[in-house]
Amino acid sequence: MRVTDTMFYDRAEVDGAAARSRLDQATATASSGLRVVQPGDDPGAAGALVSEGVNMQRIGAIATAAGRAADEVTAASDALGQIQTSLARASEIAVQLSSSQYGASERAGGAAEVQALISTILSDANTKVGDRYIFGGTADSAQPFDGLALAADGTVDASTGTYRGAADTRQVEIAPGVAQDASLRADVALRGVGGGVDVIATLTSLANALSANNAAGVAATVGQLSQGVSQVSTAQSQAGTCLDTLDTAVSANQAASSDAQKRIANLGDADEIQSASDLALAQHALDTSLTAISQSFKFSLVDKL
Amino acid sequence: MVDLFHILSMGASSLDAQTGAAATNANNLENVDTPGYARQMARLEPSLPSELVGNTYVGNGATLGQVTQARDRFVEAQLPVAFGNAASSDATAKVLGAVSVLDPQGSGGLSSALSGFYSAFSALSQNASDPSLRQAAVAAAGALALSFQQTRGSLESARSGADQSVAGDVSEVNSLASQVASLNGQIRAASASGAQPNDLLDARQKAIDQLAQLTGATVVPTSEGDASLFLPGGAALVSSLQAATLSAVPDPSNNGHLALNLSLGGTTSSVSPGGELGGLLSARDGGLGSAVSGLDTLAWDLAGAINTVHQAGVDLDGNAGQALFTVSSAAGAAAQIAVNPAIVGDTDLLATRTTGGTGDASNVLALLATSSTPLSGGQDASATLAQITSAFGAAAQSASAASEADDAIKTQLVTMRQSTSSVSTDDELVEMQKTQQAYAAIAKVISTTDSMLDTLVQIT
Repeated sequence: MRVTDTMFYDRAEVDGAAARSRLDQATATASSGLRVVQPGDDPGAAGALVSEGVNMQRIGAIATAAGRAADEVTAASDALGQIQTSLARASEIAVQLSSSQYGASERAGGAAEVQALISTILSDANTKVGDRYIFGGTADSAQPFDGLALAADGTVDASTGTYRGAADTRQVEIAPGVAQDASLRADVALRGVGGGVDVIATLTSLANALSANNAAGVAATVGQLSQGVSQVSTAQSQAGTCLDTLDTAVSANQAASSDAQKRIANLGDADEIQSASDLALAQHALDTSLTAISQSFKFSLVDKL
Repeated sequence: MVDLFHILSMGASSLDAQTGAAATNANNLENVDTPGYARQMARLEPSLPSELVGNTYVGNGATLGQVTQARDRFVEAQLPVAFGNAASSDATAKVLGAVSVLDPQGSGGLSSALSGFYSAFSALSQNASDPSLRQAAVAAAGALALSFQQTRGSLESARSGADQSVAGDVSEVNSLASQVASLNGQIRAASASGAQPNDLLDARQKAIDQLAQLTGATVVPTSEGDASLFLPGGAALVSSLQAATLSAVPDPSNNGHLALNLSLGGTTSSVSPGGELGGLLSARDGGLGSAVSGLDTLAWDLAGAINTVHQAGVDLDGNAGQALFTVSSAAGAAAQIAVNPAIVGDTDLLATRTTGGTGDASNVLALLATSSTPLSGGQDASATLAQITSAFGAAAQSASAASEADDAIKTQLVTMRQSTSSVSTDDELVEMQKTQQAYAAIAKVISTTDSMLDTLVQIT
C-alpha cells in the first residue's frame, strides 16, 4: 500500500487522540469510581440504578417512619406501665381500706391518694410525644382524656376521664403497601370500650366510696381493679407486640436499604482493581503511541537528499 | 530525412516536457498538506508523428500529454455514503451523549425527586397532623413537579440545540450546493479543450465531500462531466447547473421544531436528509423525543393517579381533597405539572385522612400505594422512569456504537483515498530526481548535437 505524508500525519493524529481518549476514560472511571455515569454506558444497569435508587430511599423512609412510630409506642408502653403501677397501688388501697379495721379518717386519706392516682393516670393517658397525644387514636391533636374533676362536695365527678379521642388506631407503613397499627386503643384499655372494665369509673367509685367511708363500696371495687390491672397489662403486652413488629420492620427495612445500596454499588461502581489496571494500560498505550509517532517523524527522504 | 537541427528542436520540446513534469512534481509538493488536493501526474508521451527516414520511422522526442488526477473511482464511489453515515451517527451520538439530565447516579434528578416525594409522604404517614411534615410533603411534591419541568426542559433544550445546528447546517448546505452547481459550469467550460481542470475538480470534490457529510447526498456523474447530487429518498440537491434550496421551517405538529423542505425549479417538498442533518434530526426526534414523550406520559399518569387518591381523601378541615397536582393535558404534561397553589398556600388542604381524626393517615397510606400502581404503560412510576432511562441509554449506546463502526469504515476508505490521491514527499522527490536526470540527459543531447554541428561546420 502506498503510504503518503497525509496518511502518516493523520494516523499520528487519530491514533494519538484515540490513546488519549482511552486514557481520559480510564482516568474518569478510576477517579470517580463509577462504571455507569450516563445511561449509554450500560442502559440496563442505568434503568436498574433508577429503580434501585427510588426503592432504597423509599424503604429508608419507611424505616425512619417505623422507627418514629416505635418511639411513640415505647412511650405508650412506658405510660401504660406507670398506669399499671398506679392501678396496683389503688388496688392495694382498696384491699386495705375495705377492711373494718380502718375508720373514716384513714379512708379520707385513702380517698385523697386515690384522687391523686386518678390524676396521675389521666396525666399518663394524656402523654404527648412532640405535639401529639399518643392515646387519642387518630384524634391526636387534643388531649384524649378529661382531667380530674371534683364536685362541690369534694367527691370525684363522673365526668372525670371522659374519653375525647377517636375510637380507632393510627397506622404506619412498615413495608411498601403494608400498614401496621402504631397506637393503642386507650378507650379500650382505660374505659372498657368493647366489654372490659371501665378503669376510670372504678377508680372514681373507689375514691368516692373512700370519701363516704363506705367499706362495702370500697370492697366492691377490688375485683374490678384487679381486672383493670390485667386489662392495662394486656394493653401493655399489645404495645410490646406492636413494638416488636415495628422494630422488626425498622431492621428489615434498614437491611433492605443496605442490600439496595449494595446492588447499586454492584450495578454502578467500577471494580477498583480493574479500573486501576485499565488506567495503567491506557497510560502505557499513550506513552507507546507518542513514542512511535515521534520516532516515525524522523524518517523522510527530505533529510537524505 | 533527419537533420541535426531537427534533433536540437526535438531536444528543446523534450526539455519543455520534462519542465512540465518537474512543475507538476513541484505543485504536488507545494500542496502536500492542502485538504482535498489530489496529486497530479504528468503524462509524457512520444511526439507524433514519427518521421519516416528511408523505410523506417525515427521518433520525435517527448511531449507533455496530460496532467491528470490520481483518483480511485472504486473508493470515490463509496466515500459519500461512508461520509454520510459517519456524520449521521456521530451527530446523533454527540447530541445524546451531551445529555446528562437522565444520568442514573446524578444528584437532584427526577428519580431523586420521585423517591423524595414518596419518602416525605412516608414520614407524613407516621404523623399526618404534624405541620412540619405536611409542609415537607408539599415541598417534596413541589420538588417532584419542578424536577419533571427541569428534566423535560433540559431534554427540550437539547432538542432546540439540535435545531440550531440544523439551521446552521442548512445555510452551509445551500452555499455548498450553489458552489457545486457553479463548479459544474466552470468544469464544463474548462473541459471543452479536452484538458482536465484538476484544481476545479478538486474544489468540486471537496464541496461534494462536505455535502455528503452534511446531507448524506450521493453523486451521480453526467455525460457532460457534471456531478449531480441526490439526497437519500431521491430528491435532487444539485441537478447539473441547478442547485436546490434547502430550508428549515418550524413544524407545528412537532412542537415547533424545525422540518426541512427542498425547493428546486418552483417545486417544494419535505425531505429527510442523511448525514449530519439526518443524525441531528434522529437524535432530536428519536432518543430525545421519546424521552420527552415518555416523561409527559409519566407526569400525566402519575399526577392522575395521585390526584384520584388525593381527591378521595379529606383535608384537616374536613373538606374533600382537591387535586394535588395541576396539569391540563397529556401533551406537555411534564412541562406543566405543578402543585395546586391552594395546597402550597395552606398545607391543611392536604387530604391525609378519610374518616378518622386529624392524625388519620389512611389517605397518606393510599397515596403511598400509588408508588406501586401500574400506570398506562403497565409499570409503576419508578419502573416507568427506569424504562425511560434505559431506552434513552440504549439509543445513546446504539448511536455511539454505530458512530464507532461508521467512523472505522470512513477512516478505512479515507485512508484508501489518501493512499491513491494524496501526495508523498518521498515519491515526488524521487520523481523530481528522475526528471532532473532526464533533463540533464536531454541537455547533453543538445550539447552533443551542437558539437556535431560545430564539426560539420568545420568540415565545410
